[in-house]
Amino acid sequence: MAAQAAKKTGGSRSGKEGGAAKAAKANTEDYLRMYRQMVKIRAFEDQANQLYLSAKMPGLTHMYSGQEAVAVGICEALTDEDRITSTHRGHGHCVAKGAEFRQMFCELLGREEGYCRGKGGSMHIADQAHGNLGANAIVGGSMGIATGAALSAKLQGSDFVTVCFFGDGATAQGLWYEVMNMAALWKLPVIYACENNGYSEYTRTDEIAAGSLTARAEAFGIEAHRVDGQEVLAVNELAQRLVERARHGEGPFFVELDTYRYHGHHVGDINRDYYRSKDEEAEWKERRDPIVNFGKWLEAEGILSADDLVAIGDEIRAEAEAAVAYALNASYPEAGEVDMHVFAGVDHALPYIDGYAKGAGA
Amino acid sequence: MTREITLSKAVNEAIAEEMRRDPSVFLIGEDVAEAGTPFKVLSGLVDEFGPERVIDTPISEPGFVGMAVGAAMTGTRPIVDLMFGDFLYLVMDQLCNQAAKQHYMSGGKLSVPMVLRTNLGATRRSAAQHSQSLHALVAHIPGLKVAMPSSAYEAKGLMKTAIRDDNPVVIFEDKLMYQDKAPVPEEEYLIPFGAANVLREGRDITLVATSSMVQVAAKAAEALSAEGISAEVIDPRTLVPFDEATVVESVRKTSRAIVIDEGHRNFGVTGEIASRISEKAFYHLDYPVQRLGAMDVPVPFSPALEDLTVPTPEAVAKAARRAVRGEVADAA
Amino acid sequence: MPHEVIMPALGMAQDSGVIVSWLKNPGDPVKTGDALMEVETDKATMEVEAAHDGYLADVRAGAGDSVPVGQIVAIISETAERAGAAPVETGAERPAPAGSPAQGGPGAVPEGHEVIMPALGMAQDSGVVVAWHKEAGEAVAEGDALLEVETDKATMEVEADRAGYLAAILAEAGDDVPVGQVIAVISAEAPEAPIRRAMAAAPQAEAPAPKAAPAARAEPAPPPVPARTAPPTPRPAAGPKPAGRVLASPRARRLAAEEGLDLADLVAAGHAPPFHVADLETLRALPKAAPAQAAAGAGAVGVVSAEVDAAAFDAFRAWLQEEGTAPSSPRLLAAFAAGALRAAREHAGPLTVAAGTLGTTTAWNDPDRAPVSADLPESDARPELILRDLTGTALTGIKPAAAPVPVVTITRRGDTLALHLAHDATLPEEAALALLSGLADRLQEPLRHLL
Repeated sequence: MAAQAAKKTGGSRSGKEGGAAKAAKANTEDYLRMYRQMVKIRAFEDQANQLYLSAKMPGLTHMYSGQEAVAVGICEALTDEDRITSTHRGHGHCVAKGAEFRQMFCELLGREEGYCRGKGGSMHIADQAHGNLGANAIVGGSMGIATGAALSAKLQGSDFVTVCFFGDGATAQGLWYEVMNMAALWKLPVIYACENNGYSEYTRTDEIAAGSLTARAEAFGIEAHRVDGQEVLAVNELAQRLVERARHGEGPFFVELDTYRYHGHHVGDINRDYYRSKDEEAEWKERRDPIVNFGKWLEAEGILSADDLVAIGDEIRAEAEAAVAYALNASYPEAGEVDMHVFAGVDHALPYIDGYAKGAGA
Repeated sequence: MTREITLSKAVNEAIAEEMRRDPSVFLIGEDVAEAGTPFKVLSGLVDEFGPERVIDTPISEPGFVGMAVGAAMTGTRPIVDLMFGDFLYLVMDQLCNQAAKQHYMSGGKLSVPMVLRTNLGATRRSAAQHSQSLHALVAHIPGLKVAMPSSAYEAKGLMKTAIRDDNPVVIFEDKLMYQDKAPVPEEEYLIPFGAANVLREGRDITLVATSSMVQVAAKAAEALSAEGISAEVIDPRTLVPFDEATVVESVRKTSRAIVIDEGHRNFGVTGEIASRISEKAFYHLDYPVQRLGAMDVPVPFSPALEDLTVPTPEAVAKAARRAVRGEVADAA
Repeated sequence: MPHEVIMPALGMAQDSGVIVSWLKNPGDPVKTGDALMEVETDKATMEVEAAHDGYLADVRAGAGDSVPVGQIVAIISETAERAGAAPVETGAERPAPAGSPAQGGPGAVPEGHEVIMPALGMAQDSGVVVAWHKEAGEAVAEGDALLEVETDKATMEVEADRAGYLAAILAEAGDDVPVGQVIAVISAEAPEAPIRRAMAAAPQAEAPAPKAAPAARAEPAPPPVPARTAPPTPRPAAGPKPAGRVLASPRARRLAAEEGLDLADLVAAGHAPPFHVADLETLRALPKAAPAQAAAGAGAVGVVSAEVDAAAFDAFRAWLQEEGTAPSSPRLLAAFAAGALRAAREHAGPLTVAAGTLGTTTAWNDPDRAPVSADLPESDARPELILRDLTGTALTGIKPAAAPVPVVTITRRGDTLALHLAHDATLPEEAALALLSGLADRLQEPLRHLL
């Protein structure tokens, strides 16, 4: 992790001393929902991992496990109209923004009922109904899209906020600096959420990032925060404040969330000794797990019992398993779909591009 | 009513009309507002529509193209001004990986109704990085439409269609033609994509030409006509979609074809069109399909060299003569 | 519901993995996330974790086993009692697991949680069992090292991912076990008859690769090498092979075909290809060919045809080439034709024969009486026979027109030479038959006739 010296490090409080956090989210229903959403992400990823390992899932996938508090803490501060852009490690954002297991697993397995009719797969799930503009397989590739969505909201006079999720690795992309500049110039309602999981693919972030990430945003006059990304209440409390301010024209903002990915860069990145130790992994998993720790807090607060926590886990796991079973039996798209959805308003692209079929309107 | 206006004015009118018609349309790019671009194509638009809808950006092509993609995905219809076609290289990820693929990757959920207007054309003595004709790059990418206006009339009609299209459209204007005038109706009109324009009917040979090369082909046809050679001139207007049927039908009639395009000849538009003709009109061909494109060298600065690199009416006429006379082609 | 433990796909292009060792024994209780086994691929060695809580059962591959990706190596059953009791439903995409323990019967593998040879790298097929650290029947605790597995990259311990009893050891030290294959079974309760055997002793040694796995690596059998018992057929040593076509534009070709015109007639008339539509005018204006004239009666042409295998002639020319004398094809044919004509007419006097290819014709006096290598002077005499050697052209046939002197046209189609003799009354039919027959003989046995 890069050495950081952020001046503003908002809301980095422990869940156990959650008095203020509680004030920010006094509704136990919200706590329960956040807990369930994190468990859902973990359950989804466990199933996805198994699907991949068992060669039932085509392609490549990147696990979000360990980073659940980031997606949930932020997305719980958003409405369905607020937008997010996501990354190759995007299942967590997708679930947190309200996506359903069935359509997600169908998409992962290339089935017709998937969110993208099987045309996107793990790295391109988009769920427009919940404001998810899609995961992006180009590192940093969605920074322009997110900033443009914020520009669009401003032009349309709406108060929708866009959150741009990206990893520490993406901070090395030049695009970010171009769009941060414009977002700051035009006070766009966008929040750049950098999930710093310590590793840029197979390389320690402090080997690829000079100086401080927050300072980079601050150089554009963007208010920057750094928060413990394993503490869902801390993340959510900060997100609530920033989203509200962004709605009122005080954006953009930058948030660096310290977090950790439990798996490798992708499923199959198994031999990680050369870039990180098993002790380090164990430390994060055993002491800083966002779900376990939040569960303990809920128990300590008397909101849920230990049995409740187990029951929630079982229920959601069963739900995920059922969704997987459903998806495994779901249909693939018909062959005729292959040249559909290339152009809006055009049924089949192949005759269209050769001039033998007219598109809608044009 | 029809009056003669410049291509530049035609583009300006098209954008202004569409911005009046649809409040979700906005302009974004470098020096599009007060400056109205270096070519002054957009002059005056900021006065009517204000800086909120005519947005000057920093010199950050990937940034503002990416933002246009995001804006297009969320309810607005951006027109992006990319000052020179050569800057396409800077924005390839945003255009080809993001804009072109959103609709497909999302299974039809997301769409990107944006226009990227830029230019092409050499012989402005602008050297290798401000003179290229790079439309083949984007025409290669599924999900992008590509329009190539060849006159003021075409520029206006195609621009209006592009703005109303729900897909990313890249429209290339010939920067040498901005001051060229042509009759343009005052009444509103649109030119549909995928419908080629037969500028001139002919019997002996088909000249398929795009954008800047349409006038070159027309001049060649005029010269050939004096020699008794009747050339048909076709402007496809859009590369994607491409009106294959009109071109093929013409070549079946004339039995000969020359394809002229200002992009580099190597692996480019001329090869694509020639190949389609060969595939669909083979048994009607009486001569190998000929191609004339920009010479396969970086565009040189020196006028003495630059002028050698672009197809001329003389070169087109010469190739046509050989074809019509059946002079043995290289292939024989 | 019991859950399958399968040989995982751990890399981008991995077909199988080798179980280095089991980290849990059959019957061991396992918790989600417990390391079940160590698996090695060509890239790395890694632990395979349990995806479910339960009990390790029905271990179907042992240390050293190389197991195809996607193959079941063990089962995690819900209860210790049920460990292995219910065979897992295998989906349609999955073939029956390798070495699947027989159900019941003496020597049956005890029920329990299967331990598989893990995939430890991106392209690892198998792992070799180095040693078992537990004995069959021995109680194992979660995390106990079950066995050691070696791959080409590393040696790893496979730990028990649940507590129980090592009810079966299904691969012995030295066994190279495909990734995913069951190498042990951990049962929840102490097995009555623990099993220990080498992999080879498994009822079924190999299973088909799972459907979902990357394509099998079996290489196609090499194409049979043709036995070279005979030398290759002699080929003409020089001269381009005829392309078999008259060069013409597609449109000219199509229109000619529609009108029943033969573009070859243009060649025969001395016009140079390629032909375009404009040349069809010339073609249409050419004198109509043989059939019409044959019907005319007066000056009627007789046509005699023959076909011979070109092999002998080709070989003969090749031989001449090797000898350093390479007469042109027309020269050689002129010699044969003159000989044949002389024989047909029983004529001993001087004989002038003109021969040539398209457009060029040379006349020689008595070409059959000089060595073919000799440089004969051209003759100005009126030839008594004209020979058109079209073997080097695309032409394959002709309907000869009437000619003032007999004309022999030779065309070639593949390995066959076609001979056409057109003659009128000046060459009686008997003589015409003898001439062409004699020429055919000479082409089939060139040496005999020349020497």
